[in-house]
Formats: sequence, structure tokens, C-alpha cells
Amino acid sequence: MHTPTLHRLSRSALYVLTLMAVIISVFPIFYLLLLSIKPAHLTFDPGTWIFEPTLANYEAVLEGGDFVKYMINSLTISFATMLVALALGTLAAYGFARFKFRGRFWLRMSMLIPQMLPPITIIVPLYVLFMNLDFLDTRHGMVIAYLTFTLPLATWMMTGFFEDVPVELEESAMVDGASRLGALLRVSLPIVAPGLAATAVLAFIYSWNEFLYAVILTGRESRTLPVTITSYMTNKAILWGRIAAAGSIVLIPVLAFAMLTQRYLVRGLAGGAVKG
Amino acid sequence: MIGLVLILIYPLGYSLWLAFHQWTLRTFRQGVPYVGLDNFTDLIQGEDFTGALATTGTFMFFAIVLEFVLGMGLALLLDQNLRGQRLFRSLILLPMMCTNVVIGLTWRLMYNYEYGVVNYFLNMVGIDSVAWVSDISVVMLSVILVDVWNTTSFVALLLLAGLQALPEEPFEAARIDGASAWQRFVHLTLPLLRPAILVALLWRVIDTFRIFDVIYLLTAGGPARKTETVSIYVYRYGFKLFDLGFAAAASYLMILIMLIMAIVLTTMIGRTSSD
Repeated sequence: MHTPTLHRLSRSALYVLTLMAVIISVFPIFYLLLLSIKPAHLTFDPGTWIFEPTLANYEAVLEGGDFVKYMINSLTISFATMLVALALGTLAAYGFARFKFRGRFWLRMSMLIPQMLPPITIIVPLYVLFMNLDFLDTRHGMVIAYLTFTLPLATWMMTGFFEDVPVELEESAMVDGASRLGALLRVSLPIVAPGLAATAVLAFIYSWNEFLYAVILTGRESRTLPVTITSYMTNKAILWGRIAAAGSIVLIPVLAFAMLTQRYLVRGLAGGAVKG
Repeated sequence: MIGLVLILIYPLGYSLWLAFHQWTLRTFRQGVPYVGLDNFTDLIQGEDFTGALATTGTFMFFAIVLEFVLGMGLALLLDQNLRGQRLFRSLILLPMMCTNVVIGLTWRLMYNYEYGVVNYFLNMVGIDSVAWVSDISVVMLSVILVDVWNTTSFVALLLLAGLQALPEEPFEAARIDGASAWQRFVHLTLPLLRPAILVALLWRVIDTFRIFDVIYLLTAGGPARKTETVSIYVYRYGFKLFDLGFAAAASYLMILIMLIMAIVLTTMIGRTSSD
């Protein structure tokens, strides 16, 4: 008699715990979105949850200064980075997945090193190099800077996805007269398409979210959105309403993309590494 | 691979050259003199760098321990096949995808002494307001909590992937032999989960070691450099004081420390996966 009740009880306890974790995870994001549509006189009043929503903060952000220009910068830089990383990363990954050679484990692990390097350690030399090349505050300079971490990321993730494609599929295509490149393009690539999409999303998000490179290597011309947001912290005051609105504009596409591809994102991140 | 060499090895080699030279914004046009190991000896003798290392170490230790304890719990919860599981999982994933700048600023507002929502909730249950980011004795905890909020889901998802790949048989056998849930967890789940735990640990060690944006926007390393991590330290010397030779030397020490940690952990991973 006791066990079912106990079971049900512990079941509800599990639910409560899970819900708590969900609420804690989502609350700060919810709070930011809420603040972005709060009227100005309620910004400093955390206790008010119900109010007449306003778009005033969004209007102020979009109309004031160069926000739209910087948004286009962010989009262009992230998109270009994603394309280059994907093209080069896919080819490199294919090599890793298909050709067995000595020291493969270590070479593959060494692909992780660029991703592990603290960004600040790459920025110091990049800054001086970019200064000599006149690349400071340019969009192509930012794409190069972002490739330092997106290219290894794309290679790493795609290697994991390619390894899941049975070699036999390609071999039979090649027996039927396809070249290796043809087999890659027509047989394997369609199979890894979801993984490719997840890699693209992640490369885009990493560039879109990036702050440290951007704050150092950009100026008036090539500034990106994360840096723009910090410009609402002025000497006189922190414009929380605008930070919330700009922050929401930056966050919403990222979260939407992440939700759409979450299954593959988790696999890609964990992927290769878990299998070793 | 060639592209990778160009965009990575070249800057790193250049950085090594910088580390042995004096390069400051004020003087570099008059030449960049070779100074030997001066930058390195200054670094090690100065108290700020060792202080920043100690700060980073404290932060890493407590953040990682909390993230693994909570992340393990979360992974076990998500492994229970409760209804609505997939929705829960997507929602819990959100913090780790957020833009760090936005995270730092949002928490800075939420931590505000007078009008922050954290103190508002504390007051509601009768606890006095806490000066989260300006009290020297609390600020480290505040920073750690934000990182825990930010990345526990990452740890949980990696561990969950590991949990779901575990074989059923040993657990059945243990249950028949009368092992309690706790015994099964300690003697079966944890050892079998070792590879997943090590991978998650590797990533957390690396990410916490280089942390910059969230802390920089939350506290800017203050108050009184109490939360100045190594990355913020290098940033301050490189791009506030523009002493890039010195900053390059500091970043080389950083890379060295990171490589040692990474090699130790990857060797452990390599060993468990070849077992």
C-alpha cells in the first residue's frame, strides 16, 4: 500500500525540482525582456510585474546613434565567418573522419587547442599585426579574428558527424563511378546536413555573441552589437531601459536558433569528445 | 590546415617575439627594444599577476565544484522521463547560449543594491539587502553564482548524454543483488560515467580559466581587484595601459598553464576511452 503513494510523492518532488531549475534558468532572461518593455518610470521598481507595456526603449535604441549600422555589421561579420568556417571546416573534417593515419587521436585533440586558448592571448599579437596591416576597425579583420575559434570548432564538430556516416555508402558510390569529391557532395553531405546546420548555427552564434575581440579590434566603423550595448553605460548613468531593449534584440535570434537546433547542438558539443 | 597555421601559429609566434621586447603605445614608433626576460621577471615579481592567478584559481574551484554537483543532480532529474522532458531540456539550455555581455549586464542590474530584483526577493522573505557587487567579502560569491547559472546546464547536458549511453545490465544485476539507489550511484553510475565527467571537466576548466566578459561587465574586476581574473589582468595591461610586450609575456604564461591543464585532462580522457 505504501509504495505507490511514496512513488507518487517522490514523482511530484522530482517535478518540483525540475520546475525550480527551469524557473531559475529562465528568470533572468524573462526579467530582461520584461524590463525592455517597462515604462521608464518603473525601471527602478523591481516589484511591479503588471503594467502597460511600451516600445519606447526599442524606439530609442533603433533611432538613436548608429545602432542599425552596427546591427548590419554584426550580421555581415557573423555570416561571413560562418560561411568560411563551414567551407574549410567541412573539408578538413572529412579528411579527419575518412583517412586513418598515425597520431590521429592527438592530432584531433590538438584541434581543440585553438578553441581552448584564452582569447586574450590571441588578441594581444593580433592587435599589433592588425595595426601594421591596417586591419584594425575593419569588417574583414573581424572575420579573420573570428575564424581563429570558429574554424577549429567547425572542424571538430563536423568530424564527429562524418564519422557517423558509414564508409560503405561512399565506397559503393565510388564503385558506381563517382569521384571522392562527388561521393562527399552527393552521398555524405546530405546525410550530415542536420549536423552541418547545427555547426552553422553555433559558428554564427559564437561570432554574434563575441565581445572581447570586438571591443579591442573595432572602432566607430566595424563595431558589433555586444560592444554597442555597453555604450549605454555612460559616465553619467547606466541607461537600463535601452540596455534591456538592445540586449533583447541581440538575444532573441540566438535563443530562437538554439531552440530549433538544440538536439544537434548538444550532440555536436559533446559529440566527438565523448566518443574519444 | 594551412589556413589554420596562418591565422593561429603566426600570431602566436609573433606574440612570443613581443614577449621579449618592450612595446608600448607611447614608445613603439621609436623602435621596439629587446629586453630579454625582463617582462617575465616583472610579472612573477609583481603581486598583481600572482594575485590574479589566485583569484582565477578560487573562482575556478568553487564554480566548477558547484556546477558539477548541481549539474549531476540536473542530469539525473532530466533522465527520469518526466512528462514535458523535451521542453524542460530546451528551457534549461537557454542560459548557456546567451550573449555574455547581456548576461553580465542583466545580473549587474539584478544584483543592484537598491533596485535589484535579487534583493527585492530577499527582502520579501525577510532577509536584509546584500551589496552583491560592491562588498569585498561577497563579490566572489556573486561572480561564481552567475557562472553557475550560466553553465550548469552545459555540464548537465554532457552528463545526461553520458547517462543515456550507459548499459542497462549492470544496474539490473545490482538491483537484484539488493544494492540501494545510493550504492548503485556511487559504485556504478559514477565510475561508468567517468569519460563524460572528464570531458565536461576539461571544458569547464578551460572556460573558467579564461573567463572575461561576464566578470568584466559585472564588476570590471573590482572592487579593489577582488575579482580580477588573469584575462582581465592581461586586458588591463594590454589595452588600458598599452604595454603590449608585458601583456604578451603574461599571455604566454597563461597559455603555458592552460596547456598543462589540457594535456593532463586529455591524457586522462585518452586513457579511459582506450580502456
